Amino acid sequence: MLWLQENGLTVAISLVLLVIAFLIVRSQIKQKRAGRTSCGAGCAECPMHGSCHSSSKQ
Amino acid sequence: MDIRIALAGNPNSGKTTLFNKLTGSNQFVGNWPGVTVEKKEGKLIVDKEVVLTDLPGIYSLSPYTLEEVVARNYLIEERPNAILNIVDGTNLERNLYLTTQLVELGIPVVIAINMMDVVRKNGDKINIQELSRQLGCKIVEISALKGTGVKEAAAAAVEAAQNGKTIPQHTFSGPVEHALAHIEEAAVHGLPEEQQRWYAIKVFERDDKVLEQLKISKETLDHIEKDIQAAEKELDDDAESIITNERYLYIAEILKSSYKKHKAGQLSTSDKIDKVVTNRWLGLPIFALVMALVYWIAMVGVGASATDWANDGLFGDGYHLFGIGTSAYEEEAEAYGDAMNAISAFYELDTEAENFDADAALAELKTVTGEGTATVTVEDEETLATEDMTVYFDKVPEDAGDDVIGMSFQDAVAYVEEKGFEEPDPAEYGVWVPGVPALVDKLLCDEEGEPRVADWLYGLIQDGIVAGVGAVLGFVPQMLVLFLMLAFLEACGYMARIAFVLDRIFRRFGLSGKSFIPMLIGTGCGIPGVMASRTIENERDRRMTIMTTTFIPCGAKVPFIAMIAGAIFGGSPLVSVSAYFIGMAAIVISGIMLKKTRMFAGDPAPFVMELPAYHWPTLGNVLRSMWERGWSFIKKAGTIILLSTIAVWFLSRFGVVDGAFRMLEEDEIGMSLLGRVGSAIAWIFAPLGWGEWRAVVASVTGLVAKENIVGTMGVLYGGGEGTVYQALANAFTGITGYSFLVFNLLCAPCFAAIGAIKREMNSRKWTWFAIGYQCLFAYAVALMINQFGGLFTGNMNVIGLIAALIVLCGMVYMLFFRKYQEATKLEKTVKI
Repeated sequence: MLWLQENGLTVAISLVLLVIAFLIVRSQIKQKRAGRTSCGAGCAECPMHGSCHSSSKQ
Repeated sequence: MDIRIALAGNPNSGKTTLFNKLTGSNQFVGNWPGVTVEKKEGKLIVDKEVVLTDLPGIYSLSPYTLEEVVARNYLIEERPNAILNIVDGTNLERNLYLTTQLVELGIPVVIAINMMDVVRKNGDKINIQELSRQLGCKIVEISALKGTGVKEAAAAAVEAAQNGKTIPQHTFSGPVEHALAHIEEAAVHGLPEEQQRWYAIKVFERDDKVLEQLKISKETLDHIEKDIQAAEKELDDDAESIITNERYLYIAEILKSSYKKHKAGQLSTSDKIDKVVTNRWLGLPIFALVMALVYWIAMVGVGASATDWANDGLFGDGYHLFGIGTSAYEEEAEAYGDAMNAISAFYELDTEAENFDADAALAELKTVTGEGTATVTVEDEETLATEDMTVYFDKVPEDAGDDVIGMSFQDAVAYVEEKGFEEPDPAEYGVWVPGVPALVDKLLCDEEGEPRVADWLYGLIQDGIVAGVGAVLGFVPQMLVLFLMLAFLEACGYMARIAFVLDRIFRRFGLSGKSFIPMLIGTGCGIPGVMASRTIENERDRRMTIMTTTFIPCGAKVPFIAMIAGAIFGGSPLVSVSAYFIGMAAIVISGIMLKKTRMFAGDPAPFVMELPAYHWPTLGNVLRSMWERGWSFIKKAGTIILLSTIAVWFLSRFGVVDGAFRMLEEDEIGMSLLGRVGSAIAWIFAPLGWGEWRAVVASVTGLVAKENIVGTMGVLYGGGEGTVYQALANAFTGITGYSFLVFNLLCAPCFAAIGAIKREMNSRKWTWFAIGYQCLFAYAVALMINQFGGLFTGNMNVIGLIAALIVLCGMVYMLFFRKYQEATKLEKTVKI
């Protein structure tokens, strides 16, 4: 109990970070399955946009 | 039932702009041909039952290019209820060539003459009624960019879809019509009446795909062939050329009575500009100048102050809101700095010593006697360069030079007597907004500044996440400025000219100018760049383009370039410009070398590209393009980069020391897990001048995403005394820094782009070959930069120099002495 009192903030923030990391990993896996890449710049306005992302439409 | 309307027209005639206006969608509009490679669909804003299909820009319905095949297949197989044919009013003759074919399809056609505002501005006159009568379909005048006439055009197309019928008015010459009549009778009689003429013409042209589709028996084909040959003999030309010529003659005929050019024979403004910017000798220097200007504005002019604010303010100590209090603080900080330097010249002062007593120090300072001058060594905060400066004891002369501290020793003593030894705190001046690290400190630390969380968690958040993600996000302002200007250059039509200018150079080295379009797209992101190589029909050229496209720095590499330029080269914009020219040189050199191997031998495919007229882009279009690129960059910082910095921090701050696994001290990170792995492979990069584990690890994490190089460097070079930039300036010299920059620009792209290469190559072998070539080429160039650069700085390594000379000789041989290989014929059936 004392340990928890002393380390409560550490545990809480660590949990928040773990949840964030989990959500990021999940979204990345979802994106990959949907055929979207992690490409950082320019996909949205790319002329081939539709074909990169076609698997998600089907 | 839904009404389907197809938007068809020449490349860059404004189809996508019209499509966006009518459907409210956000498809990218570029002022160069070939932006739309595949069809896109959207519903009309005013009538959701009307589906509009934006087809790729095409010059004809011949099946020669991917775009033509996509558009033609849609029109023939899907048979929309109407075609809205967008015609560029400033270039009627060539645009109407497609129109003459569309009206033969048996689908109602409405013509929208676009850019009418420009036509009127030029003083040209189009007789719409006469043109409409001659072509047999309704014509609407529009300006897609300004939005005038677009609703009327859509309404006319809907009406045509419901009740319209377009009957082709054009008749070919006697022999052709004779043959067409025979073909209609013998081969296409079973088709619906309105479609028979188009199919008959295609059979006359011996169109492979149509012949295959119609499955005409051999006897019938032989019979038809006699009629075609008879026409060819009579008109002394081949069937396809006869049709093309007669179409152009027909267009010339109808334009005679319906079009009057105000300045016939004179050059338009666009032509006049092109005479200069696409000039054989001036084209490339002008391009270099434009890019230098763009980078100067983005990296230095506007971007530097914005990025300084982001790096030093938002992700640093903090900033003065709207700059209120900055000048007062800077004045005070300069006076304090002068006072400390002046005192240091005559008295050994250590204000940070544990037993420092301000009163005692002041009393001692007052007893110091001296005269004349003394010297003090001053260190530049940014570059860490040192300089010896003179300090006067009693009074600084009025004509003192730049190498004199602006405060005398006695004035400095008076200063500390009045203001004390404490450094001025910027938070006490003006309106101070604390930076993210300070805000995080407030959350995680108690009143005495001690962390309320475990040390490892505090380190992870401050030195890992805030330092890593902050290092990447700090470049957002510069990137937005850069993206804004690149979007402007694309939209106004200048970038299309660069394809033209570069084609001349590329062609000489075996690459087609078509390779420039993937490169152009690759400046945003390598993935769509690699995918855009699909439009190159020649398999060898396509493979070579895929292999070389990622040499051009993509948006993700921009922060890395800016970081190296800022930390090692004093923020020079020339570093960024040189990155692009090194990318282009790498493409040209690779082009020559690869073309001389059997795998890539053969002439480059011809490159035909229409240069669009220059025009002012709309603000919305340019801002949207900038924001889309910028936003995906920010999103990436919050996902992949965040995860990577967490991983890098853990792996670089924990390790086994004396047999125990524990968190490491600042000076022990060389023994971390990452440090040990990095050190194990660092020797490979030693000949490049940066065989140090942190640089090696940063390069490796760049494979996850290129922004990661910056994030990783933020984590690995930060945390100690001084800023990341200072640590980088210490770790690299100009030559090793440039070698590091070039290697990371040219080596294998990120995993996502490697995936795109694998998809486009459709072969594991070719993918590995591409990655291997890129890494080897990057290594070779970086090796030469470091070794030959060492000759000038005296930092020479004989073995390394010999290796660099061998590489140089190999390249010179490949570039200038090896003969081009004879092309062996490569045939492959591609199903589209």
